[in-house]
Amino acid sequence: MLLRRIYQFLIIYCLGVGLLFLLKYALGLSDYVIPSPAEIGRTAARDAGPYVLAVLNTLAVAVLGHLLSIGLATAVAILGRLTAWIGSFIRTAAYNIQAYPIVAVAPIIFILLGDGLSSRLLIAAMICYFPLLLSFIGIFSEPVADIEHFYHATRRMTWRLEVKIRAFENIHKISTVLVGSATMAVVGTIVAEFIAATAGIGYSIRIALYQSDLAKILVALFLIGVGTSLYLVSLEGLGNAFQARLKRN
Amino acid sequence: MKQALTIFLVVIFLFACGQKEKEEVSYRLKWLYNVSSVGDLYADVHGYFAREGLAVTVKPGGPERDALKEIELGHAHFGVASADQVLRAVAKGAPIVVLAQLFQVNPLHWIYRPDRTPFTSPKDWRGRVLGVTFGGNDETILRALLARHGIAESELTLFSVRYDYTPFYEGRVAFWPIYLNAQAVIIGEKLSRAGETYAFVSPDELGVRFVANSVVTTRQMLERHPDVVRRFLAALLAGWRAALDPQNEEEAVRVLAQTDRETPEAVVRRQLPVTRELMLPAAPGTPFGKIDVAAWKQTAAIMAAQQLVPEGLPLESILATDWVPSP
Repeated sequence: MLLRRIYQFLIIYCLGVGLLFLLKYALGLSDYVIPSPAEIGRTAARDAGPYVLAVLNTLAVAVLGHLLSIGLATAVAILGRLTAWIGSFIRTAAYNIQAYPIVAVAPIIFILLGDGLSSRLLIAAMICYFPLLLSFIGIFSEPVADIEHFYHATRRMTWRLEVKIRAFENIHKISTVLVGSATMAVVGTIVAEFIAATAGIGYSIRIALYQSDLAKILVALFLIGVGTSLYLVSLEGLGNAFQARLKRN
Repeated sequence: MKQALTIFLVVIFLFACGQKEKEEVSYRLKWLYNVSSVGDLYADVHGYFAREGLAVTVKPGGPERDALKEIELGHAHFGVASADQVLRAVAKGAPIVVLAQLFQVNPLHWIYRPDRTPFTSPKDWRGRVLGVTFGGNDETILRALLARHGIAESELTLFSVRYDYTPFYEGRVAFWPIYLNAQAVIIGEKLSRAGETYAFVSPDELGVRFVANSVVTTRQMLERHPDVVRRFLAALLAGWRAALDPQNEEEAVRVLAQTDRETPEAVVRRQLPVTRELMLPAAPGTPFGKIDVAAWKQTAAIMAAQQLVPEGLPLESILATDWVPSP
């Protein structure tokens, strides 16, 4: 699975970079507009080390932000399933807050929390939290009538059992949502770093943009792609293992 | 009736023959419309380009827009770029030529509070927190100042600067990079209202002459369409001279207010004299827009010392020093 993900990413990356080279040589553009393969190679040799560390830094924050969002979204969705009104209220709030562009909200966050880890974490969490929340509310509010009826009839239903039944019956959907939101957590972290942090690959990309250095950006994009693929494969592996264990039990 | 129609058609024909076709030219600014582009807009609004037979589209720049790339890609004919951008581009083979230098003194300064952190020379920076945009030209300028005055980076703290001035307002950062003719007027006013004093550190006065905005085009444009280049430059620089003339101040404010609606006219009125000081050549008789070759050489040397560009860039072929018309 890992190899497949990586080579799929490599195909997409190579196609994109190949298109840039085609444009460069067809139009006779300088290395300033589109760097040559040699220029990208030199940049990779020089900057890959610090960039790998920056990507790992970003991934660490993204994973933390993602976990934070999963925990929070699960808690709020469990509360939201209690009554239709609360569920609808949370949904409205989520849609509204999600509509605010993060670049407009970010300065407020940075004034309150500074430009350190907590701001990056919060922005990463914010970007992947609301899609997670909306999916979880949908999953946890939807009764699994066939199974729940039995427990209701025998008066053995508890809120924990209800949540477990709904989670179990929708485990495939939950797994897909978690993997999908992982990409958003990575994106959110990079956006936060780009806007105001002083660490991570988003910050490195910002500096490269100031220097109009597309070679650095291409190296950074490559490493982000590899890092994100690894994270997604790990999540899918965890999801599959969890589902297999549930089936065995 | 037939006679009237014939006369009408003849008049139309003569009118059409009398109309000289204007050449379409695109001009990409370095930044969003603000006081640093007042002359560009003045030249456009007051028909300076039209009188030279040019239909110029003045496009705003921005953080993600690079005039040099647009020029090379053919999306713009002329543009505004800072010297560091030009030198980086040329070092990577971009066929860029500098036609005129708009700022004679770089507007980038550092604002500070003299009562809290007195400053007489960069040696006073020891132990202080200084704002810097990592990757920006202020980082290059600051490092040049530190090297020139023998200060190691470990002797001070560098703070990564963004658009939010809160760390400076709160006093966490003692020196903050700022454009003297743009934000400095607004930030200075806020500090004055709060009863605080402020002053500016000028890299130029400390011996670092790092060139800022210049007008650029491609070598191909210069060689194939020298007449268009000459007419464009004549119109543009005439527009700038008029915009910076104190007698035209109200009109310059009005022209800028039409495009930059975010900045109050009262602020623009205070920004204009500062812009004038930074742009007009100090030596009498020097034409507006003259390329300061010595400053370019120093800029290239600073960047080479910091390994941002290779040594020995062919400045004589980058700087088209004989294109600025005399007033």
